[in-house]
Amino acid sequence: MGSPQHVSHVRASSSASTDVDGGGLNGNQDNLLPIANVGRIMKDVLPPQAKISKHAKEIIQECATEFVGFVTGEASERCHQERRKTINGDDICHAMRSLGLDHYADAMRGYLRRYRESEEVAAALNNNNGREIQIDVRDELSIFRSNEQRQGRN
Amino acid sequence: MRQARPYSGMFCGGVSARTGPHALPLARIKKIMKRSAGEAAAAGDGGARMISGEAPVVFSKACELFIAELTRRAWAATLEGKRRTVHREDVADAVRNTDLFDFLVDVVTTHNVDDGATD
Repeated sequence: MGSPQHVSHVRASSSASTDVDGGGLNGNQDNLLPIANVGRIMKDVLPPQAKISKHAKEIIQECATEFVGFVTGEASERCHQERRKTINGDDICHAMRSLGLDHYADAMRGYLRRYRESEEVAAALNNNNGREIQIDVRDELSIFRSNEQRQGRN
Repeated sequence: MRQARPYSGMFCGGVSARTGPHALPLARIKKIMKRSAGEAAAAGDGGARMISGEAPVVFSKACELFIAELTRRAWAATLEGKRRTVHREDVADAVRNTDLFDFLVDVVTTHNVDDGATD
C-alpha cells in the first residue's frame, strides 16, 4: 500500500506553534492532549536515568494529538461513504489499517472486543439493579441429587 | 455514556478498559476527534459526525501505545548521540526514520526554537 492519502486533512494542532503563553511552546491548549499525561506515559517507557526535555514532551504531545486527528479524519470519511453518522470503534480500527498502522489496528481490535464484552456484562448487572441475581446451584448439591433419585427422577 | 459507580467495574473483568482510569482523558480525546471529524465532513456532506462512547476509549489506549513507540524510537536517537536527555530533534529523527510516521513530518518540522530547556 502506498503512502496514505489525506486530501482534506487539516492538522489538529496547527495553532500550537504560535502560542507562547504558559512558558512552553504549547501553553494551555485544550485542543491538545494534556502534557502531564503524555509526560507520564513517556516516563514509564524510558529507563529511570533518562530525562525528557520540555520541548520533546511538547512535540510528542502534538504528534499524539495529530495521530488522533489523522485516524479520525480517515474514519469519518469511511462513515460518510457508508452513509453512517456515528464513528465507532470498528471504524477507528479500519482507518488505522487503511493508513498503514496495521499493528495498531490489530492491537485495538482485541482491546475493543474485550471492552465490548465488559460492557455487556456491566449492562446485564445494571439491568438487575435492585433485584438479587439468583444462581441456582441445587443441581450441584448432593443432598438434592439423592432426593431426586428417591423420587425416581434422574 | 453512563458513569460507572466506584466498584461496579470489579465484576466486569475489564476494569481498566471500562471504568478507567484511562491513560488519557476521554473528554479531551472526544473534543479532538470532533474537530477532525467535523473538518473531514465539511469537505463532503457538511454534517458533523457523531462519536460513539467506545471510540475515545480505543484512542486512549492507542495513543498510549503510540506515545510509547515514538518515545522509544526517540530514545534510540538520544542514545546514538550519547546523551541521556531526549530532545525535540530525537523525536524528529524518529519520525523521519519511520515510514508509517510520515503523517507527522509537518508536526516535527514546524518548530524552529532552540531546544535548551530541560526538566
